[in-house]
Amino acid sequence: MTGVGAAPVARRGGQGGRGATVDVHASLLPLWRGLVLYRVVALAYAVANVVRFAEAYVRPALGVAVVVFMAAWTLVTSVAYLRGARRLALVDLAVTVGTTMTTVLVDDPARIAAGQPVITTVWSAAAVLAVAVAYGIRPALGAVVVSVAALAFTRQALDAALLSDAQLLLVAGVAVGFASVAMRRSAQRLQEAIATEAAAAERDRLARDIHDGVLQVLALVRRRGPELGDPDLVREAAEQEVSLRRLITRGPPGLDGPDDEPVDLGAAIGATLPSRAVLAVPPEPVDVPGGLARSVVAVVREAAANADAHAGPDCGLWVLLEDDDEAVTVSIRDDGPGIPEGRLEAAREEGHLGVASSIRGRTAELGGTADLVTAPGQGTEWELRFPR
Amino acid sequence: MTETPTAVRVMVVDDHPMWREGVARDLGERGLYVVATAGDGAAAVRIAPAVRPDVVVMDLQMPHLDGAGATAAILAALPGTRVLVLSASAEHGDVLGAVRAGAAGYLVKSAQVAELADAVQRTADGQAVFGPELAGLVLGEFRRRDAAAKREPQLQASGEPALTPRETEVLRLVAKGLTARQIADRLTLSHRTVENHVQNSLRKLQLTNRVELTRYAIEQGLDREG
Repeated sequence: MTGVGAAPVARRGGQGGRGATVDVHASLLPLWRGLVLYRVVALAYAVANVVRFAEAYVRPALGVAVVVFMAAWTLVTSVAYLRGARRLALVDLAVTVGTTMTTVLVDDPARIAAGQPVITTVWSAAAVLAVAVAYGIRPALGAVVVSVAALAFTRQALDAALLSDAQLLLVAGVAVGFASVAMRRSAQRLQEAIATEAAAAERDRLARDIHDGVLQVLALVRRRGPELGDPDLVREAAEQEVSLRRLITRGPPGLDGPDDEPVDLGAAIGATLPSRAVLAVPPEPVDVPGGLARSVVAVVREAAANADAHAGPDCGLWVLLEDDDEAVTVSIRDDGPGIPEGRLEAAREEGHLGVASSIRGRTAELGGTADLVTAPGQGTEWELRFPR
Repeated sequence: MTETPTAVRVMVVDDHPMWREGVARDLGERGLYVVATAGDGAAAVRIAPAVRPDVVVMDLQMPHLDGAGATAAILAALPGTRVLVLSASAEHGDVLGAVRAGAAGYLVKSAQVAELADAVQRTADGQAVFGPELAGLVLGEFRRRDAAAKREPQLQASGEPALTPRETEVLRLVAKGLTARQIADRLTLSHRTVENHVQNSLRKLQLTNRVELTRYAIEQGLDREG
């Protein structure tokens, strides 16, 4: 049981164990597996090569020893790479280059000069591929240079065969390095997406906890207000309760986005209103383009500030948001003394372009209409209608 | 206890113990008779028939059975009982769900003690406790139905209840925070007529629930024959 469970965890390495994370190594595993397969096949080719040419070697016994070492090294690196030990790639490159250079001790210099393969044959390319998988394109190019230099030293020649080897190494190193970088990047993107999702889930969970605990206590403080004898504390609790509730029921308003990104106007207005305001909204979000939402919120804020100024900061304030296919309607009402008939007109004639004309002007700029209903003792009510 | 023969019998349903006990105590101190409390919807449905409350003060988000489900089940068993939703969450869908299930009113939890006691009393008296928030939700819900019907007229069922212009007018004024008396003054109606318009809009919302269920049943039947 434990063995079955432990194997994948061990392969994933250190950080992969906890829930929803993407392990970069795990995402590169197909490349490492391909590399192991290549190395085993190349080893078989190298063994066949030694068996075939051992008689022609200067030191056949050393040749056999080198091939046995290659087999052992293939085993060690394969296990290590599949377990995520990518740093071994640089050691691998050094060991492989050294092994390639033993050719000068094993083989006959005349045969080497005639263009016979080095003792490691194509097996030596595996280290370049390992560097490419582990570190990407540029280190892979470095590994190609080192490998080609070792080949040139071994062969003591800069001939067509060397050029051909160099080209093949270059193509393989670049291709695998590119694949490695691309896979790593996509794994990171996936990791980011998962992190975002986890953050959203965590926010939902927090919202539920807040709903259960903090909101209940704040509401209790507010409700017990008169008995507690500390009006400041009660008002503070009330304000915190309202803003928390608005935050968790509709989410943050998100008014910073582009002009055409849809925004829930109910949430946006809720965030801008003082906590004593009562906000009535439809059951579903009222989505409007962000640019319109910003402008509407600015007008609502002005109307609310106007209510504060004329009816006092403790006046009742009600905001109703309505939505139909043609238009969005926002009504803002206070229960202050109201504006006597003619006073607005008089103010305008005197040249005081007051709040009223500012609200009308802003609404008209958005193609909407603003109606004012007011009378002494009846409060002041704006009805702003914005076409969709 | 403060029990008197005429005291309103109240059951308090809320999953938050401190809140539940606080509400029960506050209502008791104001002359209401709290006959039971329950910590979730399922418990409320089990207990209600034994204590026969006049008014159930119902939270919405609860384990086992939520407020809307518990409202429907309690009203099916006890048609004379009335449900007042008291919710902190302002979860719009949940509030509408409870109202469509038959709740007679909705009050936010931040309401003052006196306001809550008054709301329970009014609910027991047969009035709708209907604040601006609920009015906005109900208005929005009927608008949504109107719009959907316009977009797809073939889906519009005859007999789908809609608000009259007068009911819409009254609801809008409620949503703007006017009291029933202020609305009566402004529209030169009687206070009683304003109350009736509000009650009717709630009843129609509950009726849409039944119309939808009926339509669904008919469609299923027609499908089988065709």
